[in-house]
Amino acid sequence: MDFNFPADDDPRRVELRQWFQDHPKPTGRQIAERGLAAPNWPAPWGLAADAEMMMIIEEEFARAGVRHPSVMNAIAVNQCGQSLLTWGTEAQRERLLPSALACEDKWCMLFSEPSGGSDLGNARTTARREGDHYIVNGQKIWNSLAHVAQIGVLVARTDSTVPKHQGLSQFIVDMNTPGITVRPIIDMSGEENEYNEVFFEDVRIPADRLLGKEGDGWRITMEQLQTERQHMTKPGAVWGAGPTARELVSGLIESGRIQDPLIRDEAAKLYIEGEMLRLLSLRNLSNKINGKPAGLEGNIGKMVSSPHGQRMTDLAKRSQGVAGMLKDDDVLPLPDKDFGLFSNWDYAYWFSPATTLGVGTQEILKNTVAERVLGLPRDTDPSARIPFNEAAAARTKAA
Amino acid sequence: MDFTLSDDHLALRDSARTFLDKEVDLHPVLKPGSSVADAGYDRLWKQIVDLGWPGVVIPETYGGLGLDYLDLVMIIGEMGRTLAPAPLFGTLAGVWAIQAAGSEDQKTELLGAVAGGTSTLALAIADANGSYDAPGRDARATAADGGYRLSGAKSFVVDAAAADKIVVAAALDGQRRYFVVDAKASGVRVELVDWRDVTRQVATVHLDSAPATLLSGTSEDIWPFVRDRLYLVLAAESSEGAKAVLADAVAYAKDRVAFGRPIGAFQAIKHQLAEIAGQVECAVVGVQYAAWALSEGDPRASLAAAMAQSYASEAYRDATHRNIQVFGAIGFTWEMKNHLFYKRARCNAELLGSPARLREEVMQFLEREAA
Repeated sequence: MDFNFPADDDPRRVELRQWFQDHPKPTGRQIAERGLAAPNWPAPWGLAADAEMMMIIEEEFARAGVRHPSVMNAIAVNQCGQSLLTWGTEAQRERLLPSALACEDKWCMLFSEPSGGSDLGNARTTARREGDHYIVNGQKIWNSLAHVAQIGVLVARTDSTVPKHQGLSQFIVDMNTPGITVRPIIDMSGEENEYNEVFFEDVRIPADRLLGKEGDGWRITMEQLQTERQHMTKPGAVWGAGPTARELVSGLIESGRIQDPLIRDEAAKLYIEGEMLRLLSLRNLSNKINGKPAGLEGNIGKMVSSPHGQRMTDLAKRSQGVAGMLKDDDVLPLPDKDFGLFSNWDYAYWFSPATTLGVGTQEILKNTVAERVLGLPRDTDPSARIPFNEAAAARTKAA
Repeated sequence: MDFTLSDDHLALRDSARTFLDKEVDLHPVLKPGSSVADAGYDRLWKQIVDLGWPGVVIPETYGGLGLDYLDLVMIIGEMGRTLAPAPLFGTLAGVWAIQAAGSEDQKTELLGAVAGGTSTLALAIADANGSYDAPGRDARATAADGGYRLSGAKSFVVDAAAADKIVVAAALDGQRRYFVVDAKASGVRVELVDWRDVTRQVATVHLDSAPATLLSGTSEDIWPFVRDRLYLVLAAESSEGAKAVLADAVAYAKDRVAFGRPIGAFQAIKHQLAEIAGQVECAVVGVQYAAWALSEGDPRASLAAAMAQSYASEAYRDATHRNIQVFGAIGFTWEMKNHLFYKRARCNAELLGSPARLREEVMQFLEREAA
């Protein structure tokens, strides 16, 4: 065991710094062609980088002041793109991945529906095969960045005569296909730039955009969500990203508010919990380096991380008292770091209720931890074993 | 960078686990009025001495195994998981005090005896008011006959009754110094106290002009050196103890049926246990980091140790309380072992200062760092 990080003069760092010197403002295409967009992917897409190399790359991007594709195009680079490596065809990879890694095509997820967020397996949007196409009808919701995305990863039902989880399929769709309408949702933070509703009306999707086979959709989707949750096992305030308790405490020290006994102990508590989360994320990374398969640890991580972030933004707010109730960038100092949207505590606070809702609600995560990690009995779902159309009919009758 | 336990660590943990699972039997203490003496405290210690555990972290120069703190927490974790009653805590406390305060000759003699299996130790430092602060008011030393004599008392001394030698912190000319007394010497009286954690043995040490040997060290850093390591020991016990009571609660929740289903199928139970699982994960990794930092002499080692103890002891307290709640009223009886863990958790959280007190230490560390 060795908690030392790769040294400052590590040859891997030196090589990257040289590259940034030669490419001070690299384009997405240049980053992708150097293999740095998804470094953990195998060639020709990435560098087959191990987890330690991934950390070095992340730090060197930050040092160079260049935003990494995993931030610019997270759905493609972190969550869904790698599904094409295992489930996709050669043609799909050639057509879709270069522009995704270059951040020229932004991706979004089209998973949740108005009638089912937590119960994702209950999706009602249908994709009916008709010759060389699928015809998609239905509605999706809570789709981050769908209003700017060129590509959407869609979960739709291709077979209603089998139990709900078995009849789902995944498609990689062009968002400019006729019949797709995107409507932004203004969330309670007051910002317009995150969530959307997406409507599908007789949308014709070429059959070669099906990922894997019909019926593989649930397995692929679960893989993507586990990956996403693992990414969120971090000490940052929002989705594991953003300012951490280190920044919170240094801001409280700098402003002198740490002397307030009503702030002080809680700040220390959050600092400690933040450090534990940092260690947890590094251990997950380390397990990957040592070839241990990524398991369900992401569920535990996100389960701890999301409420941690909420308590953190709450303390940041409370430290300001009544002045914190103004819509304003914070008066609490945040070190000069680029946290993207969440570079001020104000927005992070008013956004924070989202973090125990998205990517699995806190309750769903606790179920997953209890059932899949601790091995407690599964929740009963009377609709899970009977054909989807029968379950739907029973629901209508009951209503 | 490698945050994963090595095969050697796992092998050490597994051998400790096999041994303790076989030898620790807590049934005798599940009768009110019984004590660790009834649960093989002395027998187990003899076996532990034969395994060489008291000398695990004693440097090889003094006859020990010279292993690092990660190795140590593999053993301590298992001691905590099984609530193994034996004077390892006291002996380690004494070892570290001598390591920090003794001269070369004193270390060679005193640590050599522990490593050789002929000496059991304890460390007497707290005052009756629970203060570990220098210089301490309750015991004082005076020079006499070319040596020293100690008078007064020291409180909350773990494993004092089993010790051959007791390291005593006493005020000498207004300064805290460390002395070694022979537990059998005249003027030394060890009085067991009614410590709530019945798997640990705690005493008050009364000193009445007891002859003592002065350890040569005068540094202010002696107690912080010992304290950081004892934080690690408590935290390692706590994280593995929390893991054990979580596993017990999970097993019970799968087994116990109410309303036609195992109670573990109900979200009211599931969600509580999931919460505890999250805290346990964090506590375990915090302990490993602290062990590594102390082994490396990392500049943040003190911070890491305080964080680990503060976090792990609260996690343990929460886990043991949840454990009793999941078991229901049967978990509240003396005949079940649930309360033994609950009491260990509670006492571990107070023994060297409360989690909130440790958080204050953490904050002061951060303020110094920021200054």
